[in-house]
Amino acid sequence: MPRQPAGISLRAVGKTYRGRGKTVEALKDMNLECSPGSFTALIGPSGCGKSTAMRVALGLESFDSGEVLISGQTPAQATASGITGVAFQDAALLPWRSVAKNVALPLEVLGRDPSKYSVEIAQLIELVGLKGYENALPGELSGGMRQRVSIARSLITSPKVLFMDEPFGALDQIRRRQMNVELQRIWSETKSTALLVTHGIDEAIFLADQVVVMHADPGRVVDIIDVPFARPRHPDLFSNPEFHALTDRISMVLHEA
Amino acid sequence: MRHSLISPRLKPVRNFISLIIVWEIVGRMDWIAGGALPGISEILIRLWIDRGDYPGHIGATVYASGLGFLIGNVLAIAAGIAFILSPTLLRLMRGVNIAIFALPPIAIAPILVLTLSGMAPRVTLAALGVYFVTMSATVIGLSQYDTRSADLVRAYGGGNWLILKLVRIRGAIPDILSGLRIAAPNAVLGAILAEFGGGGRWGLGTYLLGSLGRGDPARLWGIGLVATLIAGLSYAIFAVISTRISGSTRSVTLNTAIPSSQGENAYGRPIQALILCGTITLPFVLWWAFIKLTGVPDLIAKTPYGVFEYLFLKDTSVIARGKLMAALGQTLPIAAFGMIAGLAFAFLLAISSRLFPGFIKGFIPVALVTQTMPLVALTPLLVLILGRGYSVTLWITISVTFFPAFVLLVQGIQRVPQSVLDLPRAYGASAWTEMRIVSIPAALPYLFAATRLTVPRALLGVMIAEWLATGTGLGNLLNRSRGYLDYSMIWTVAAVSVLLSVAIYYLVLIVERRTLVRLGMQNVE
Repeated sequence: MPRQPAGISLRAVGKTYRGRGKTVEALKDMNLECSPGSFTALIGPSGCGKSTAMRVALGLESFDSGEVLISGQTPAQATASGITGVAFQDAALLPWRSVAKNVALPLEVLGRDPSKYSVEIAQLIELVGLKGYENALPGELSGGMRQRVSIARSLITSPKVLFMDEPFGALDQIRRRQMNVELQRIWSETKSTALLVTHGIDEAIFLADQVVVMHADPGRVVDIIDVPFARPRHPDLFSNPEFHALTDRISMVLHEA
Repeated sequence: MRHSLISPRLKPVRNFISLIIVWEIVGRMDWIAGGALPGISEILIRLWIDRGDYPGHIGATVYASGLGFLIGNVLAIAAGIAFILSPTLLRLMRGVNIAIFALPPIAIAPILVLTLSGMAPRVTLAALGVYFVTMSATVIGLSQYDTRSADLVRAYGGGNWLILKLVRIRGAIPDILSGLRIAAPNAVLGAILAEFGGGGRWGLGTYLLGSLGRGDPARLWGIGLVATLIAGLSYAIFAVISTRISGSTRSVTLNTAIPSSQGENAYGRPIQALILCGTITLPFVLWWAFIKLTGVPDLIAKTPYGVFEYLFLKDTSVIARGKLMAALGQTLPIAAFGMIAGLAFAFLLAISSRLFPGFIKGFIPVALVTQTMPLVALTPLLVLILGRGYSVTLWITISVTFFPAFVLLVQGIQRVPQSVLDLPRAYGASAWTEMRIVSIPAALPYLFAATRLTVPRALLGVMIAEWLATGTGLGNLLNRSRGYLDYSMIWTVAAVSVLLSVAIYYLVLIVERRTLVRLGMQNVE
């Protein structure tokens, strides 16, 4: 059987939580198609299930109905074969490991030999602007620096599918813009399929080919908006009138209850 | 500007020197209980005179406690990992675990001497002394891990084994070391208790027993100090390693995810009932198997049925039950009071460790000296000073419960990440407010764990005091039964005290579950 190209596909996925007598529909008839090599942003209010959708796609949570395929494989197969990369909202670094060893963690999980990747590790650390901090412990870094370590870590496996759950949520606006530009560059070099969960409309538009808007209770997709701007996108785009028009449109969709 | 005459670094030294001087004067003047506390120079002179005796005794005790420490800890860590991998196994073995912890070493020492030979009873008792502490520290450390890091491992297809290897084991090391730290003096205590109750030529316990009748306080103190030095040294080694490591293990941010209670309702009611049956019967099965395997004659070794028969089926049962009840009536109230006092003392000191770090630093060595002092070596000295009244029992009980509780609580509070402490401070909170908002709630799971941990110790402390000093209660009953060769009663007292410990343990556990679930916290195994 020919292997399907990289991509994320959630079809009619449903998931409910049961707790203390009431059931919460975290995801209801959730559909999401990310074509290979595309960049998708998932946006919505807190509790709309966007993080849950990502966790389901990563195989971190089970789902009740529907079908989830990553590159044509089940989430468990996909993650175990090492084609995915992930960066969480919190850097989740192991406090006793140096920056370089934290970046190497996915390799160890996948059973690869980290010593063969020393060049890549050094390059990624330089890419996220942490050259010179290879042997620092997470406790010695600022929040932004820790988050950049986690970006480097998400890229160490050269993932075909990259998941990011509000990776820049803890960064300041300036650093966030810089990281957005950096991420675009890194992503275009890797040619991976990317899924970004975010709260920031501007971040979503700047980075994504399609912005998927979700609403809560039940968690569902309410609109999919294509972003037409050509790549590579320049930081000037943030001041473009068309950019603002699109921002307003997504803002409207977000606020219709 | 006024300058202090002594730099802060030298303060502990100054305190220590003044303590020695006061001790020397008080001792030389025979002010306490007619010479029960000799001057430090008198103790040292006695030590010098006895210097030929010590190497052999120290060697025997260090050998037995070291070997027991090693065997007990290897078993304990392996068991802790196995329990984490299988919560069912943990529940199945809970009865055995608690029974091992609650076994009064003083009661089983003579039994071990009768059933095993050579160094084996000492090594066994030392191993039994460390097993529970290290095992539960391992389980605590492994169960309190960062779920975010675990998510990361799972996001790359890693299973439970990889999470254990990459996240949990390394994260548990500070807890395991803290367990080893408490376990080390326990091993020495176990070895000395076995020497005390079991003959043999060498060992500090033997030496102490031989010197008891001589009425030479200086030698008793000398032996006590040497035993304390060994225990304190073993504690210090792990304390140093522990402080080196715990700095790099602390998580930088606080994980807010509420851990799910895994495995709690994974099975249907019939299987749960089956596990419960196993938990209850397993200790009795092991007890019975131990007797059968060692092939000790029925006269000495009593099976569970033998004890039951003795208490309920024989003509003498009424008398036996009467003696037992009278002893319980004396032992239980004072054990409860001593335990509560010890825990309260530990809790107050632990939460104030943030308020007065200097005081805690100064206090820890003092706590160590009194607490690592093996109980058996300590009791004759306390009796010399405090007499044979209830105050001796109370002090011993408080001191045995205080130490483990204090270490556990300080550790719980130290695990609170800096950012969480900074928050109340940022709002101008006083040290007290910060403690009330952060440190005390963070210490709560550890307070419960400490309570469960000290239940059997309180009982044991009281029994040792009763045996050696006051001549009342369960300890005395045990002692007299030994004198009358009433083996049935020895086994009965041991079994009853274990059952009591287990019952109180479960009572605390129920309260703990209810409280922590309401507060959204995870209980510490």
